Amino acid sequence: MNRRISCLAAIGLMLFCSQTWAELVVEITKGQSDAIPIAIVPFSSPQDAAASFDVAQLVSDDLARSGRFKSTERRDMIEQPHTGAAISFDDWRRLNNDYIVVGQVQPLGQDRYNITFELYNVLNHQRLLGYQISANKPGLRLASHQVADMVFEKILGIRGAFATRVAYISVLGSLPHKDYRLIVADADGENPHVVMQSGEPLMSPAWSPDGQSLAYVSFENRLPSVYVQTLKTGERQRVSARAGVNQAPAWSPDGKKLALTLSTRDGNLDIYVLDLTTQALTRITDDPGIDTEPQWSKDGQSLYFTSDRAGGPQIYRIGIQSGDKPRRLTFQGSYNARPRLSPDESQLAFVTQEDGGYRIATMDLRGRGDVQVLTKGHFDVSPSYAPNGAEIIYASRDRGRGVLALVSADGRVQERLVSSEGELQEPAWAPF
Amino acid sequence: MRDFLREHRWAVVVSVLLHGLLVVGLVLATLNSHRAPSPVQPLPIDAVVVDSQVLHAAQKAQSDQEAARARAAADAQAAAAAKAAEEARAAEEAKAAEQAKAAEQTQEDEQAKAAEQAKAAEQAKAAEQAKEAEQANEAEQAKAAAQAKAAEHAKADAARAAAAEQQRLIDAKKAADAKQAAEAKQAAEAKQAADAKKAADERARADREAELRKQLADEEHRSAVESGPLRDSYIAKLRNKIQSVWIKPPSASVGLDCLVEVTQIPGGEVTGARVTQCNGDAAARQSIENAVYRASPLPDPPDPALFERNFVFRFKPNE
Repeated sequence: MNRRISCLAAIGLMLFCSQTWAELVVEITKGQSDAIPIAIVPFSSPQDAAASFDVAQLVSDDLARSGRFKSTERRDMIEQPHTGAAISFDDWRRLNNDYIVVGQVQPLGQDRYNITFELYNVLNHQRLLGYQISANKPGLRLASHQVADMVFEKILGIRGAFATRVAYISVLGSLPHKDYRLIVADADGENPHVVMQSGEPLMSPAWSPDGQSLAYVSFENRLPSVYVQTLKTGERQRVSARAGVNQAPAWSPDGKKLALTLSTRDGNLDIYVLDLTTQALTRITDDPGIDTEPQWSKDGQSLYFTSDRAGGPQIYRIGIQSGDKPRRLTFQGSYNARPRLSPDESQLAFVTQEDGGYRIATMDLRGRGDVQVLTKGHFDVSPSYAPNGAEIIYASRDRGRGVLALVSADGRVQERLVSSEGELQEPAWAPF
Repeated sequence: MRDFLREHRWAVVVSVLLHGLLVVGLVLATLNSHRAPSPVQPLPIDAVVVDSQVLHAAQKAQSDQEAARARAAADAQAAAAAKAAEEARAAEEAKAAEQAKAAEQTQEDEQAKAAEQAKAAEQAKAAEQAKEAEQANEAEQAKAAAQAKAAEHAKADAARAAAAEQQRLIDAKKAADAKQAAEAKQAAEAKQAADAKKAADERARADREAELRKQLADEEHRSAVESGPLRDSYIAKLRNKIQSVWIKPPSASVGLDCLVEVTQIPGGEVTGARVTQCNGDAAARQSIENAVYRASPLPDPPDPALFERNFVFRFKPNE
């Protein structure tokens, strides 16, 4: 009998002991890719003309355009605090905000303004950012993009690219009086500046790695030539005007060389590398098919390009050391062209043909080479990565007109850029 | 950008200095206003990667164990029941024997008494007859009476003495009988008391055993709830809620492995969320803490026994 009791007691003790490891650990293996809710409260501003510039609206538009944030509508804001101390976090949480930005614009006199802003986490009341940026009136736009960049980076861990620029070609009028313009604008399409204008075609703008110069193709002498133009001074230099085709310039990562497409006498297109200092020309490909649209790898040791050597256009990679054999990268579909490498070289963006339309696609370069078609238009061409790799800008058509559009690198978000007049073509996103 | 910098060289320098001051101020402010995180008991973490097969095996082992435990409990109960029956039967038999013995003794006593009485009566009758014979012979013996008077006296004395002796024997026997009966009664009473005590002890032991069994059953319930389908359902509810509100930053992909300690109060309101171990960046950590706060109030457990004030979410995306 006693033995039975002690046996029961022993079992009881074992159960008691088991309590200590009956710990609740819940494993989370999935998440959402929803936009993060954020409130950008209108900034307080002084009683003068600068007050008409709405910093909060620009920050809000930038963040929303990235597709990674959704901004709370102003009409839903029950109060508009301008400092962290004035924030009632519970109210903002009830409006389902995870973050809140508050700030002020203060005049410093002499056309100078201070933008002060703070970023808070609504859920734990933590102050994440607090900065002051000084700017003159025209500089308020850039300063506002910088605010958006800082907020973007603090929350997502990716550097923002709102305060960067894009170059593109705009075509106005119709034949025989067409007007071609090379334009540099803010990344949101605002603030456009014409850097080159011509009655003959302008094509293929390409940013130098330092963001100071653009290389492009101009037909100003009726024949295609490659020019390099320094933006600040407007100084231009013709770097290639060989007989036949001179097209598709691409800067090497060190900014000292250009990869180009040139033609031999019989009209066969191949890829060359031009040393800008010595003018030395090196032939990279030698094939009876068309080889064009070169793009450098980050280490400057190889080139991605388009070739129809196997029939239709496909993307290849070749080392720039002599004797290297090109390796074909795309096998899906009959048309894959215009390769562009993401800044971290994890992805290749290109134009692919699908259901009779041209679309932007990406290929995973680190895994199994999975291809994802990102856009759904009929004529989506000329992809170019944002310098943070989060988005791709490309040329599209909307009701017969050439426009610029954005798609996030994962294809989740697509946005149309505000468009100035004309047919917009061949966007190229500047480096940071 | 560079134009901008060049154009506003001094402004930029001043701005940088201001930023520097601001950052120092911020650091100081952060240090001063640092809110002590609500205390969360550090919890032991089972960092074993669990795949479905292992999980299945563990579940099976557990259910086997439970079955074995149930079987053992049933066996023990059956054995206890059998033993109790055995004991009851034995007690019954002992009592019957006792009663039979008592009855037997009473009968014996009565027989003895009857025999005694019969003997006494016989002796009395014999004395009577002797007396009658004496009276009948009185006349006849009147003559010899004088002669016999002395003898007669002696004889009568002897008879009286004999009768007295007889009476004394009877009394002694009676006393002895009474004494014996009393002794028997006493013994019976003592036995009864002993039996009662034994029964009480038995009851107390049974109570103790029942109490232990109840405790055991409670523990088993808790343990069953904690390891059974209810617990699984609670975990699934928590997981679904968190997964539906976790907005993954781009850096949170396969390979991320983060533990966040969560404190909740009854009702599910989250009062604390703190990432402890994490191989992700600041954005990933923040997204994880935010997900826990956004999920507040957390779902109720299907059984109150499952409520845990402190527990751990492990963020380990598989896509």
